[in-house]
Amino acid sequence: MAQPQKNPINPALALVAAAAGWFVPGLGHALLRKWSKAIVYFFAVVMLALIGLWMRGNVFSSNAADAFDMLGFLADIGSGIFYFLAGTINPAGADVSRASGDYGTRLFATAGVLNLLCVLEVLQIGFGSKEEWHAGP
Amino acid sequence: MARWAMILNHFQTMVIFGLAVSLAFAFLSKKSTSERVRYAVWAFLAFLLVAIGIGWLMYPFSR
Repeated sequence: MAQPQKNPINPALALVAAAAGWFVPGLGHALLRKWSKAIVYFFAVVMLALIGLWMRGNVFSSNAADAFDMLGFLADIGSGIFYFLAGTINPAGADVSRASGDYGTRLFATAGVLNLLCVLEVLQIGFGSKEEWHAGP
Repeated sequence: MARWAMILNHFQTMVIFGLAVSLAFAFLSKKSTSERVRYAVWAFLAFLLVAIGIGWLMYPFSR
């Protein structure tokens, strides 16, 4: 029977995996050989980020005008590569004059926050502070 | 370059949000496959039902 165990990994690898997981969703878990988690997180974050951008959601920039803009930037930057490719994926830019664009803004922010949660889990697994099933993915 | 936008209504957006977040939360918080499936289904339905319930609660104040 599978037993839960803490499995500390090289701290340097954990940090590299966390950075990779931030930049490409799921890559951090893939580097730690958590294949099923890597696939699920990749598709969840990619789906939210792409649909958010295709709906012409707003992407907040780093020169925030107020605290809410800064929170929006911190959420958006969590989606890693999608933040930097936003202009390529949606060359028309944001359009929040319609409800659809506003929903897209929320979806893109959700993608970023979800990816940040995944990065935190990579650090937990990497530093051995989270129990993982020995025989599980 | 084509300038198009995906147009989804509130409910469709909510379904996509619920699917992605409930799946990710299930994998973040549960270890076995059966636990993950149960949690993902429960969270997805809870997202939808709570949102629809709150929508109906706000309906009398919308006009």
